[in-house]
Amino acid sequence: MARRFLTAEDVRRLGGPRIQLDGETVVTPQAAEAAASAGIEIVGPAGAYAPPVPDRGPDAARAARTLPHLPEPSSTDGIGLVVTVVGRNRPGVLAEVTAALGAAECDVRDISQRTVGAYFHMVLTCAVPPGRDFSALKDTLQCLGGESDYVVRVMHEKVFRFMHRV
Amino acid sequence: MPFTDSEILETVRMFELETFDIRTTTLGISLLDCADPDLESAAEKVYTKIVHHGRNLVEVAGGIEADLGVPIINKRVSTTPIALVAAASASEDLVPFARAMDAAAAEIGIDYIGGYTAYVHKGFTRADEALLNSIPEALAETSRVCSSVSLATTKAGINMDATAKFAQVVLDTAKLTADEGGLGCAKLVCFSNPVEDNPFIAGAHIGIGEPETVLNVGVSGPGVVRSALARLDPEADLLAVAETIKRTAFKITRMGELVGREAARRLGTVFGIVDVSLAPTPAVGDSVADILELIGVERTGAPGTTAALALLTDAVKKGGAMASSSVGGLSGAFIPVSEDQGMIDAVAAGALSLAKLEAMTTVCSVGLDMIAVPGDTSPSTLTGLLADELAIGMVNQKTTAVRAIPVPGKGPGETHDWGGLLGTAIVQDPGAFGCEALWRRGGRIPAPLQSYRN
Repeated sequence: MARRFLTAEDVRRLGGPRIQLDGETVVTPQAAEAAASAGIEIVGPAGAYAPPVPDRGPDAARAARTLPHLPEPSSTDGIGLVVTVVGRNRPGVLAEVTAALGAAECDVRDISQRTVGAYFHMVLTCAVPPGRDFSALKDTLQCLGGESDYVVRVMHEKVFRFMHRV
Repeated sequence: MPFTDSEILETVRMFELETFDIRTTTLGISLLDCADPDLESAAEKVYTKIVHHGRNLVEVAGGIEADLGVPIINKRVSTTPIALVAAASASEDLVPFARAMDAAAAEIGIDYIGGYTAYVHKGFTRADEALLNSIPEALAETSRVCSSVSLATTKAGINMDATAKFAQVVLDTAKLTADEGGLGCAKLVCFSNPVEDNPFIAGAHIGIGEPETVLNVGVSGPGVVRSALARLDPEADLLAVAETIKRTAFKITRMGELVGREAARRLGTVFGIVDVSLAPTPAVGDSVADILELIGVERTGAPGTTAALALLTDAVKKGGAMASSSVGGLSGAFIPVSEDQGMIDAVAAGALSLAKLEAMTTVCSVGLDMIAVPGDTSPSTLTGLLADELAIGMVNQKTTAVRAIPVPGKGPGETHDWGGLLGTAIVQDPGAFGCEALWRRGGRIPAPLQSYRN
């Protein structure tokens, strides 16, 4: 009989040296404990029980088909991330940021910088090579600068695309 | 087309300086298949299902945060109303369900879980009654579980017996959590016309028309709207104010749409709704009251406040509606008094009374939210206060809610600090006159004429 859950009560009722489950059944922690203490083996379709992949329901499959077809704001041609840098101006800031981008094989597509008195702000848009781990690159960039020096913020271009383009 | 500097800096400013964030990603999980005649087995299933589906919620939200660079503050779970799940077990004591939910929330690393809920706007099942009876103990014993009760709808009218019972539940919960200033009541809310896809705590739960699992997103951003209005010419007329709010709400909602799609994709579930609500926090500048004051009232609560709030709520909805095809939940402006520094200041200055707050709820998205009342408020007075708010929702075919906290040992004008996001409250004065005769009558206030639409 297909069942969604195997509870401790089920284990007590079914008993036996082993309980055979189908691929959908989720074993509660109490059932696993009850089975272990009674020496009952819980078996899935492919050997020892392993929790199944969560079944998100019939709508989830439809949603997986629908989501990619939802219109998105048009792409900005290979731009992967937007880096903004704000802080106290000194020689070498641009070099430090672009060196980090270069090391990650990012192609700087656009760059602008303004200085106001002793301070500056800089905006870079970069193309990130496919497959590059975004969050590692983001961490590297955000660790640049320091207290009373400059601050780097890295955001995915999608954020800007969704906010400013329809 | 690449972005201009001003576009980029506008977005960065929103996140860096204007406290913009995705307030919540809430995974709705249906628990209907957890019903079991055996109470213990049912609670076991509830725990197991929540953990099974919610296990990677925090990780997925964290991943999106890292990949997009957008802060996601809360990760939460909403469930099927527990009264429906518990009905099969015929138990009088439903606290084991609350314990199971609490333990599951702890296991998956979230701070709140909503769904200890019953719908009793027309009447009680045995399980509904058991759930209401168990709310005080459930909320006192657990720290993450939130409870909500539907007491009225436009279609059904107001169940005054249930309202009176709920008032007693609120008072009992306050008593059981007296050493924390009645904090249990911050996790307890009643509704007129509840929405079934609300991602925001304390009212979060998923209704019976919802899918097996669903990902709902709540965006916030009073700080962004406030800053946009601060930049607007003070002489600009109200059409310009509405347009500014609308454009800002559009941008805010787009982030919700982006995060919602991404989170649903990564979790492998359905993207439900974006709740476009201006949800304030005690942080400076993250205040709905500040927005009302920028629109032009001297202090929130002054004449003109309800009109300004009507403009704000409507403009937020319009901006949101253009930004997402999935706007849902409460979507409007929240006015949780203790959580909004501007509101607290307005109460302290004597500008904002309970009566004015009630008037404001006729045009905002929720109701009397995080209202501190005296600890010795009588059950009849509290029932009257709830019923007034429910009536506003019922007649206007909108959602209204009450989250009232009778602060034990405190009287009108006294202050209580719950700390953190819940903020500071000044105890409101419900007035010297009661409604005991109305309370004693009980029964049901019938559905209004405008509900007969078939």
